Amino acid sequence: MIDRLRSMISGVEADFIDIRYEIKTETRIGFAGREIRNVGSNRTDGYAIRVGKNGGFSSATVTKEEDVPRALQLAVEGAETIVATGGKKSILADVPVVVENVELVLDGDPREISIDDKIELLKKYNDLMLDQPRIETTNLSYIEIGREKHYVNSEGTAVSEEILTTNIAGEVIAKRGSLVQNIRVAIGGADGYNRLLCREDVFLKKAEVAAELLDAEPVKGGTYNVVLSPMLAGVFTHEAFGHFSEADIIEDNPSLREKMALGEKLGSDVVTIVADSTMPDQIGYYAFDDEGVAVKPVTLMDRGVLTGRLHSRRTASAFGEPVSGHTVAEDMRFEPIVRMGTIYIKPGEMTLDGLLAELGDGLYLIDGKGGQTSGENFTFGAQYGFKVKDGRIGPMIRDINIMGNLFTTLQNIEAIGNDMELSERGGCGKGQLNIKSALGSPHILVRNMVVGGV
Amino acid sequence: MKKLLDIAAKASDQAEVFSVRNDSSSLEMRNGKPSDMSASIQSGYALRILKDGRIGTAYTKNLLNREELVSNALDSLKGRVEAGFSFPGPSEIPESWLPDDSISGMGFHDLHSRSRAVLDYLSRKVKGQIDVNSGRGILDMSIMNTCGLDVSRKSSFMYIFTSLLFPNTETSVRKFFQSRKAADFPVEELDALADLYASGLPEVSIPSGRMKVVFTPDTMYTIMWRLAAAASGKSFYNRVSPLQNRRGEKVLSEKFTLYGDPSDPMEIDQHFFDDEGIPARKHTIFDKGVFRNLILNLDYASKLGEEPTGTGYRGGMWGGETVALAPAPSLSCSRIAPGNVSFEDMIRSIDRGVIVLGVLGAHSGNILNGDFSVGLDPGFYVEKGEIKGRVKDGMVSGNVYDVLNNIGSVENRLHDSPMGGQFPSILLDDVSVAAK
Repeated sequence: MIDRLRSMISGVEADFIDIRYEIKTETRIGFAGREIRNVGSNRTDGYAIRVGKNGGFSSATVTKEEDVPRALQLAVEGAETIVATGGKKSILADVPVVVENVELVLDGDPREISIDDKIELLKKYNDLMLDQPRIETTNLSYIEIGREKHYVNSEGTAVSEEILTTNIAGEVIAKRGSLVQNIRVAIGGADGYNRLLCREDVFLKKAEVAAELLDAEPVKGGTYNVVLSPMLAGVFTHEAFGHFSEADIIEDNPSLREKMALGEKLGSDVVTIVADSTMPDQIGYYAFDDEGVAVKPVTLMDRGVLTGRLHSRRTASAFGEPVSGHTVAEDMRFEPIVRMGTIYIKPGEMTLDGLLAELGDGLYLIDGKGGQTSGENFTFGAQYGFKVKDGRIGPMIRDINIMGNLFTTLQNIEAIGNDMELSERGGCGKGQLNIKSALGSPHILVRNMVVGGV
Repeated sequence: MKKLLDIAAKASDQAEVFSVRNDSSSLEMRNGKPSDMSASIQSGYALRILKDGRIGTAYTKNLLNREELVSNALDSLKGRVEAGFSFPGPSEIPESWLPDDSISGMGFHDLHSRSRAVLDYLSRKVKGQIDVNSGRGILDMSIMNTCGLDVSRKSSFMYIFTSLLFPNTETSVRKFFQSRKAADFPVEELDALADLYASGLPEVSIPSGRMKVVFTPDTMYTIMWRLAAAASGKSFYNRVSPLQNRRGEKVLSEKFTLYGDPSDPMEIDQHFFDDEGIPARKHTIFDKGVFRNLILNLDYASKLGEEPTGTGYRGGMWGGETVALAPAPSLSCSRIAPGNVSFEDMIRSIDRGVIVLGVLGAHSGNILNGDFSVGLDPGFYVEKGEIKGRVKDGMVSGNVYDVLNNIGSVENRLHDSPMGGQFPSILLDDVSVAAK
């Protein structure tokens, strides 16, 4: 395949060309309640092309090989138009030329497991949740996605890498009268099928929480001191800080670039944040990004001081900072953009009881329910929480969304727990879906967060 | 397609092939300069087969091996997914718009000149960062089945989406324009956007409390997602809809009417059949507050013993690969019926309240229950009928079944939303606002 890709881009008049061919495989099984709703395995493919010419940079994606010449022509035209219209000049940072073929290492290859066994495993977890009191229904899916990627560029780099993620994920829904409450559940990773086995405790716990939420009271809107659970603190790390660490987000906003200058003290002394997609056994793991650059761990914030940033070759050059190998596409339909892989807050020293005692009165908020960021403002939902009085956990609360300003919140992180948890499922939607966006944190204590309530 | 259908027909009781081809390109201008130009030519094929009351599905983007695709669909049958429906037969489908040549031939230079015109016009009116995104596309889709259905449609579109950023932030006010053929952004819309930007320049802190809140067309998807989830046949079949057993009841204010109308001649994406080949026409969900109809695809119509409603589409809340997604209940070309108040008069009627111009976190929270709690991105504070500035760190929260029973007024005009649909602004009388 590598030789075919080389021949496809040879002879094109440009300063830089790369082409990525992918074969994408998907196996999906879905239950809605006790009813199986879909079963299927599929395979498809396509090409993504980028061209740099005279400082202009453009991309094109196509499904069919016969359209590759047209894609090259469109990408060249795009790059030329950027130059002709006084557009942004793009220079790629120098990186080593590599020729690599990265083998897939799995603890249990899901492709060797029969579809019947996968259905049986999914049904077991689904039935377990449905059998719990007050549970009305579920939506639960088995999702197995493989990307066999072959990358070639005009500098001589040729990288083939296969990645495969497996998840069982969905929601459990409890109902009483017209009141409906749901809790999300997800297990899985990029290290093989065996991670999915013997996980009954996870599904049982989620069903219990969904049922308990029917008796919870809606949170009252206002400003609170809060302890965030590892998954919720991870959502904050990803949504608020992480996206701001992606160079392409701030690149064309001069005032934000100034605020996010390396060396600035943006967080409290207790906050250290790392992006590390080289961590094995995590869903965020990969070896090379989608422009053929080996991924490196980056300490983004060290004791409150901004120390690093996530880059593509183009943004690394524009910022004069090191390339980090974080340029990733959802699949062959997309050009790669700067993405987090595994991002987390490093653990501190306090126990959860210690954090709650330090909190005194406030809220203990647990597990994320989606988040979104716009510049320095962020919002994210919590699946559930508890009131805390004098450091003691009180009644359960629901309907919790938090909003804040990145810079204020980073300064308001007062203490960090000594525990640590990383998510088992990705799903960040920055224009395209990144199923390998792992996030995590210990418990953290934050002062003065705006909580929306009824 | 015909060859694929013939192969599938031999192995099944009924078969359906859905195909799509999308040719699009886009231009991004950040801070006054073209920063990204990209193009995409994507195709795809989805196969559904029915056999012995079961359904099998398969898809590929690149139809290199028809037998493999049929084999994948036959393997899928082994999952024993029940299907109580049949594919539709032929029906009279009116002619829809044909793709406009001005879009087919539109290149990067044309996109740039139209975006540049927006940039230049706004630059004369406001100081600060102006971003402009634009794009064009041609969509070609077809459905054939063994019951005799053979329908296809082509459409063309272009759009320009501009944002005016407030100083030292990524927060902006935005305006979206779309057209079936090559066209320029109407200047009166740009004038209104510039005026809105100027009124939001001061940043104001406000106390938390209950007050009047205006949801503008760009933010109406917060409400639409919750109502669509509740009216979906899927939620009814699974007995988790808050609208269960309430058909024919008045559940919202009489000022609220919601429908979908793909046949609307003014609709950019005008079409006359859904993604299962069922005729698509005006379909009302709420009529003057009364819950009238469910949103159904073939499958849930059959499960619930209802007639199909022409609202089965291959799409999700976040888009996704069309051929990889099964048709699901979805309200296309949605509309909230206009009221009788101009936007300006609506604002003048507010003693104390917030205009929601952008939201963060519409996808968070308990959507099925109708709960929302969204960050203002931005929200403008209004006092005694005048905009005082944009709110610093605020959220609005509530439940759609509560707030849509307290509608003060509905704007007398519909606007295109970048998230799809056409909506007026709606003034809600009593909503919780949390702020620092």
